[in-house]
Amino acid sequence: METRPWLRTMKARALVRLWSIFGERLWIIVNMGFPILSSLALSLLYYSIGATSYIGFAILGGVMVAFWGNVLWSMASQFNWDKQEGLFEIYLTSPASMSALLIGMSFGGIIGTAPSAAMVITVGWVLFHPVVAASWLAVALTFLLTLASLYAMGMTLSSLYLTYGREAESMNNVLQEPVSMVSGLYFPALGAASPYPFAIQAVASLVPLTIGMDALRKSLFRGMDVGSIWPSLVTLAVMAVVFLVISDFALKALESKGRRDGTIAVRIR
Amino acid sequence: MINLRSLFVSAWMGVQHDLAWTYPPVSLALQVVAPFASAMTVSMIYWFGSSNSGAGVSFNPTQLAYVLVGSTLYAHVAAYAWVPTVAIAEGKNLSVFQHIYLTARSTAVYVAGRALSSFAISVTTSLAALAVAYYVLGSFLSTTVPLTVTPVTALMLGVALVADIPAALGLGYLLGAYSLYASKFEWSLPGYIAGLLMVFSGALFPPSILPYPVSVGATYLPFTQFIAAARVAIVPGVSGNYLYSLSLCTLGGAILLGVGLMVYFAAEKKARKDGVIDRRMA
Amino acid sequence: MALDGVSLGVNRGEIFGVLGPNGAGKTTIIRILSTLLLPTGGSASVMGFDVEHEPEKVRHVINMASGADKAGYDFISAKRNLWFFSQLYGIEPHVAEERIGDLSERLGLTKYLDRKFYALSTGYRQRATIARAFINDPRVVFLDEPTIGLDVMTARSIRDFLKDEVRQHDRTIMLATHNMAEVEAICDRVAIIDKGKIIAEGSPEELKRKLGVPALVMEVSPPEKSFDALTQVAGVRGFTSASDEERGLSTIQVVVEDDGSARRAEEAMAKSGHKIIASWRKETTLEEVFVAMVGRGFKEREEQDGD
Repeated sequence: METRPWLRTMKARALVRLWSIFGERLWIIVNMGFPILSSLALSLLYYSIGATSYIGFAILGGVMVAFWGNVLWSMASQFNWDKQEGLFEIYLTSPASMSALLIGMSFGGIIGTAPSAAMVITVGWVLFHPVVAASWLAVALTFLLTLASLYAMGMTLSSLYLTYGREAESMNNVLQEPVSMVSGLYFPALGAASPYPFAIQAVASLVPLTIGMDALRKSLFRGMDVGSIWPSLVTLAVMAVVFLVISDFALKALESKGRRDGTIAVRIR
Repeated sequence: MINLRSLFVSAWMGVQHDLAWTYPPVSLALQVVAPFASAMTVSMIYWFGSSNSGAGVSFNPTQLAYVLVGSTLYAHVAAYAWVPTVAIAEGKNLSVFQHIYLTARSTAVYVAGRALSSFAISVTTSLAALAVAYYVLGSFLSTTVPLTVTPVTALMLGVALVADIPAALGLGYLLGAYSLYASKFEWSLPGYIAGLLMVFSGALFPPSILPYPVSVGATYLPFTQFIAAARVAIVPGVSGNYLYSLSLCTLGGAILLGVGLMVYFAAEKKARKDGVIDRRMA
Repeated sequence: MALDGVSLGVNRGEIFGVLGPNGAGKTTIIRILSTLLLPTGGSASVMGFDVEHEPEKVRHVINMASGADKAGYDFISAKRNLWFFSQLYGIEPHVAEERIGDLSERLGLTKYLDRKFYALSTGYRQRATIARAFINDPRVVFLDEPTIGLDVMTARSIRDFLKDEVRQHDRTIMLATHNMAEVEAICDRVAIIDKGKIIAEGSPEELKRKLGVPALVMEVSPPEKSFDALTQVAGVRGFTSASDEERGLSTIQVVVEDDGSARRAEEAMAKSGHKIIASWRKETTLEEVFVAMVGRGFKEREEQDGD
């Protein structure tokens, strides 16, 4: 792999995403809508039942829902949309690395989603003043590793979606809410406080979001430091690597199959 | 003048669009997943918050039912209120929308048909989601969720669902007006609508906890009254007056539908004048 | 089977046309050579690199553009789109900048570079697409119907650009099209393809010369969809027709072997109850070459395949 072209491709794809988002200012506002409102609604739910100490969970959930939505709709589905527009075959007939393109999309997506996340925190803070007792180094590390593993999962999904085509969008609808449910975006899904039986907790743990949310709550609201949550951090790091490897392998396998079957650039309108 | 045949065939097209992308029963089953998960998430939040907050706060099954029904029904409304947007946006991108416009000279009937088919599908999937959530919650939380389902209460719920149609259509026309004239970001509207309904429709908590005068506006929204009427119908012990809520829902819905249609027709006229009826979405 | 025993070679520095009706296999050839599709048999190479076993090497020296797509990211400017694609080839930013400027000037795109892609008209999106196809200074460019749907002036300026690129930069262009005027205007050689088979290959002039005689054109009344009477005439190699209901006549182009065949074709039309309003001889076109080989024109061939 030549490093410089790989990095150029990654940078270019990240910039395209950022130019698209920040070039249309309205888009930033539009993208914020659901994360802010859902976070607000669930914070108000906690408030209405007198569980004010957990409002911070709802705000944190709103932050991560912004990234999770970005992973599904702007990462996993992106290659499929590129295929519909004829861009995917341009990628394929160029020497550009698919992984570089996907990682560039990830970086662009993370930075592009940051304003939504920041607004959720700001609105939540101003309205509810949630109590935090944070170990900030642990919070930062957990956050970064959660994003890394989540976007790596998005890369894996994008190669699967290439196979599905139009059904990809329907898969997003199927995945988005259930994953939010079992991964405990807004309440603990793991451990003694979880409403789920062990079997569901085990399956949920395969999603990086579950491990990440659990560790984020511990570090942000209970002040647990890196030494206390290191198993979660290691798990997230391993997940990121595993998903990256799977996505690379899956993309190559799908490209080869697609070339053989003649479906690599077929559009389904 | 409403052309019934156009309405039915538009509804038929909606069913094809929503279900025929795969084996229809599978498609229908998959469409239960999202409202089920959404209702479960909110119910779990309620359970966790009420069970772990210490003194003064305790888990109440009736309150759980309140949240469960509200979350299912707001998702139902959100699911079909935005169909006009998608019908217009997709129609433009597939270059069919201008032909529908030329055929009927107004696309309002087509949009209504699409919304009504979506209503039918959404009612099915939402009620299925409610039923599944009822059993799953009962199992996970080792409790019985108090819901009363008899022929009478089912009829009351059914009437409330139908009474909400004008309001949802009115909202759909307002969103559709944007989609008709604009050419970008229409895909983000459903997220906003779902979010706004979550906050202001009394789906998860009484609108009275919102600050005044927002609480007043939220209380009298037709969607809020629809959910209130539905709750009175099937959740025993919930306060409220079914007929009062139903009346407000119907009245509010009629007003919203009237406003929605006015805005939609005006947008259609302006779109024709500015030549954007057949402009593709960016 | 999309292609059946296709064997062709393209010389360096030429514009090679692949001409045929819709569904003939033109796009399939392009997809194989651009590494999008693997052949099920045989082999193909571009600049000496095997498309099946060395696709990465092929991709470094090629580019492609399709007229059916005006592929680009809607929410960024044309310039940024071009810059982005240049980076996929690992081109140094300052080199990319120069190329974008040069290509834009030659394609008349400079004034529109800063416009968002969705705001460009069809013609300018296509110019941007063509610019993208040359951004990496490719040795070989594959173009699939590059001027489809464009107005005459835009199509002409794109063709002039393509000719310049080959002349000045020693590029090789393979052009898949069903636009015969385009092939005649710019192609050095052309392969005519029908139902996956190459039925003729050579320069446009060579192919037309092979037929020998100019075609016969008749305007007859009443109009009809099909003129089976002509199939029985000795020396008629094929024909294509178009009806004009408003004027109440059909125009038939008949490929004949000699003047005697032309006379017999006129007699056959008169005998079958048609009045010949006008008839004349015209210079052979590539469609007549196709008609001579296959017996039908592009339109009739596509209708046949549709049945």
